[in-house]
Amino acid sequence: MRMNSPTVDAPIHRRRVVLGLAALPLAVAPSAHAAIGGLPSNTGHADVSPEWELLRGRLFGARTIDAASGRVQLIAPLRAAYGASVPVKIVSHLAQTPALYVKRLHLLVDKNPSPLAATLELTPEVGQADFETRLRVDEYSHVRVVSELSNGELHMDSRYVKTSGGCSAPPNRESPELIGKTIFKLPEPPTMGAPTTADLTVLHPNDTGFELNNVTVMYIPSYFVRTIAVSYAGRKIFDADLDFSISENPTWRFNFVPHAPGELRAEVADSKERHYTGSLQIG
Amino acid sequence: MTMSLRLPHPFARSIIAGALLALLIATANAVGIPPAYAPLVVEPVITAGRSEFDLGPALARAKRENKRLYVYLGASDCPYCRRYENFLAKNADELVPHFKPWIVVDLRSTLSTTSNRLFIRVGDSALNYTDFQQSIGDQRTRMLVYPSVWLFDPQLKPLMQMPAGTGTFETVEEQLEILNLVQ
Repeated sequence: MRMNSPTVDAPIHRRRVVLGLAALPLAVAPSAHAAIGGLPSNTGHADVSPEWELLRGRLFGARTIDAASGRVQLIAPLRAAYGASVPVKIVSHLAQTPALYVKRLHLLVDKNPSPLAATLELTPEVGQADFETRLRVDEYSHVRVVSELSNGELHMDSRYVKTSGGCSAPPNRESPELIGKTIFKLPEPPTMGAPTTADLTVLHPNDTGFELNNVTVMYIPSYFVRTIAVSYAGRKIFDADLDFSISENPTWRFNFVPHAPGELRAEVADSKERHYTGSLQIG
Repeated sequence: MTMSLRLPHPFARSIIAGALLALLIATANAVGIPPAYAPLVVEPVITAGRSEFDLGPALARAKRENKRLYVYLGASDCPYCRRYENFLAKNADELVPHFKPWIVVDLRSTLSTTSNRLFIRVGDSALNYTDFQQSIGDQRTRMLVYPSVWLFDPQLKPLMQMPAGTGTFETVEEQLEILNLVQ
């Protein structure tokens, strides 16, 4: 399947997407809730779902999405250790050059109440458009990535993920003073002029609003990281528009190309309009 | 010789009937892996503030019989545990033959046994839940979830990363996915 649709430059705002799906059931809390066992287990990784058909129309209109090109790959476990923290990796099989590059990545969880977990706006400065993060997956669902190239092409890959809960303790809420702490780490020393991998973590509860406090028997209000803007030496690497489908303490592994010593910087804003920054001097 | 059968007093009969009913209910809601799976039940050794489960005998048997270990951690007061156990009971005819290469180990705990109180003993070493998970490279370190299942070879090497809880393998097809190590 190939596409010839025009590029859509306007960013897609996830809030519009949430509206029609807010009534979907949720048990995202990693406490004593569980997806019901016995949901469809024979669904193929590449299958569609009614939720995806709806999302697809809202996000991409009639544009063709190529699900067989292999330009983008999504790696996720069939069953994750915890449904509240499902590791996913996006791999782009395309060199990130000014002539043609991955311009936007959409990460979706079909069955979540807010299915559009993240929209990443990229520049060629990422060098290699691979990303890793952790997602909340509420119930058996497809997880999808749609990669939008600078020439307007859309490519997709998906995985079917099975999650459920059990009886457990609620997450730790003992260090509110640390909320917003933004930390960079480089797993390997940087390489000038080449893609260098970095890890970014924002300490934040990323509360969904659907989780019950076992002590007060009140729902914990929704409170999550909305945006992250990452730059290097003053040049944009990527911007992320996020939602509470990203796990507690949002973490992103990404690449950037340092051309000379400079500052790797993240500017973070959450749903209470609080702003945080983190930085790391490179070289 | 004649035999006479003396029926109990009506009051005694009602007590017996009540006891039988209670027994039936208890059987229907029995705690633990159903007997059809021939589980090796491990009760904890409880000392001040800790419940210790010894995997040693199960491992020794696994080595002797060259079988894998299907280690189930359930809690007596955990509704999700009852659901999984009831699923196993309901589908025993179909599933038990597929469990033949496995020794099912039934660790019997309670919800109040949190990760810092639950210890697993293997030989001379007893580790709390988190340390045990880290020692075997299991990703489920952050939170102890009831029920939990581990799959081990006879050397206690994990065969597959398992999810927290059992809700993703409560159909026959999915239980077979687990037994066949489908990832």
